[in-house]
Amino acid sequence: MLYPDTVESEVIVHKPWFITAMFAAILACFLALNLTGTTMGELMRPVIGDPVQSGFYGRFAIAFTIAVIFCLNVVLIGFAPLKLQIAIVWLELLLLFLAFFETFHLSLPFIREKLPFMITQGVVTTLYVSAISIVIASAIAILGAVAKLSTNGFAYAIATFYTSFFRGLPLLMQVYLIYLGLPQLGFVIDAVPAGILALSLCYGAYMTEIFRSGIQSIDRGQWEASRSMGFGFGLTMRKVILPQALPVIIPPTGNQFISMLKDSSLVSVIGVWELMFLARTLGQKTFQHMEMLISAAMLYWIMSICLELIQSRIEHHYARSKVR
Amino acid sequence: MRHFSKLTALAASLAMALAVVPAQAGAVLDRVTAAGALKVATDANWAPQSFMNDKNELDGFDVDVAKEIGKRMGVKVVFVTPGWDIITAGNWAGRWDMHAGSMTPTKKRAEIFDFPAVYYYTPAAVAVHNDSKATKLSDLDGKVVGATTTSTFEAYANQDLVLDAAGAPPFKYEFKPKVVKSYSNSTTAFDDLRLGAGVRLDAVVSSQPSINDAKKAGYPIKQLGEPVFYEPLAVAVERGDPEFKAKIADAVQGMKTDGTLSKLSVKWYGTDYTVVK
Repeated sequence: MLYPDTVESEVIVHKPWFITAMFAAILACFLALNLTGTTMGELMRPVIGDPVQSGFYGRFAIAFTIAVIFCLNVVLIGFAPLKLQIAIVWLELLLLFLAFFETFHLSLPFIREKLPFMITQGVVTTLYVSAISIVIASAIAILGAVAKLSTNGFAYAIATFYTSFFRGLPLLMQVYLIYLGLPQLGFVIDAVPAGILALSLCYGAYMTEIFRSGIQSIDRGQWEASRSMGFGFGLTMRKVILPQALPVIIPPTGNQFISMLKDSSLVSVIGVWELMFLARTLGQKTFQHMEMLISAAMLYWIMSICLELIQSRIEHHYARSKVR
Repeated sequence: MRHFSKLTALAASLAMALAVVPAQAGAVLDRVTAAGALKVATDANWAPQSFMNDKNELDGFDVDVAKEIGKRMGVKVVFVTPGWDIITAGNWAGRWDMHAGSMTPTKKRAEIFDFPAVYYYTPAAVAVHNDSKATKLSDLDGKVVGATTTSTFEAYANQDLVLDAAGAPPFKYEFKPKVVKSYSNSTTAFDDLRLGAGVRLDAVVSSQPSINDAKKAGYPIKQLGEPVFYEPLAVAVERGDPEFKAKIADAVQGMKTDGTLSKLSVKWYGTDYTVVK
């Protein structure tokens, strides 16, 4: 909720029209899908007989059961307190995902065997490539934002050209351009620095815009008041503008960090042995790449969750003024 | 503090990497001898030629050949694994010295690379799904065919293949596909083929060993007809260093003469691919 208050309102998932509509929608969806040939059909065997021969009756029975279970589940969750609701929905979605992965018949021993190497080589490389890029990108972003807000034509022109160019090219192309293009100018750059450079420049451009808009979101009166008190540019920025701009800047910046973590997989094309590269490579000989791709997906997800948690901690810190 | 010093070290290495000037052409052999190491580029996704083994190290036929060449040159071998398109783009700029990754010495590639030695020949074949209705290669006329991008398999499917290396047997185009789909590696193409005959692909052009490997791993595919062409495969170096080229040619010739190469081929493929049948 935006701001928790004490106004009581009816729970929407308990309103009859909502339940009816939801039930009808689910029923229609699963009627359209023929699930008689799946595990669901097998489970319903006692009711519908041989799933293959059950025809429309089988389809309807399956869709009806699913709709009833779904609606019952939603209505029951509606009774729970907020925290419990969140926990249950998370758990249920997670179980659905696991069931989805289960259908791939993955070889768990193979995953267990490869996981240590994926972490010591892949996750470590991914993390340090992203971490360095994040630091450099943030530095570029602050410089870029100040340049874009300055009245110096030179600085403004460079900053706008930079953000336009690096936001306008696909990151993969930037990786290629830097890795293959710089040697033409006489700078032979290794794969890891090339990847870091591409990530920093690209994300620096996006974050420049975030920082600029955050700074501009502060009312000009703040700036004028501060200046009229005799504060200089640096002091105004440090003590007045930035502390107010940070709560605006942090959520999109957190987004950028998470997205950079995953975009670091693009540097695998130039042969950096990070998580994505290993995911594509390790299972290749034995044709068990699905195992490796899913393990890597989970590792990326876990890393992203850590970043999400850090972001929400920081947001809490800056939202103190809004707490009653 | 430790983290900080690590960061500065990395920042410094970044700056260093930016400042290094490339070695002059013709000096590759000097560089290799001075460093005592031969930097070999190879694909990590091309079993059984080169792949990651159980110990998470590079292994395979190409890798063994590269190691043997290094041994005969008296240097140790270091592997790097850039993408195939980056290797074939040329302009290695001293990042690696040699490519041992089953490259076919086509005329176009010969403009950028020298090929010191052909070290084996792979039969290229066409794979179809087990349920496929095609019984001969000409049944694939007007169908959707997949192949690894910028490979000779793709060139064959596009009827645009030039094999002009010494000893390359003649071939003819057996079918004319409607669409040729490009994949970053053969595994992805097989993955699309396994979905069913004609779901995403009707056939995949790939090397016979890869097709056999996929079959062994339980892919529901089979080889259609005879191999469509024999691909000579060579070690590649950048143009401009004849001494380095001669050194590698000597090493490979030595391996051919004393039977090492045939032994390696039998070890990885079960048959001797180093001579044309």
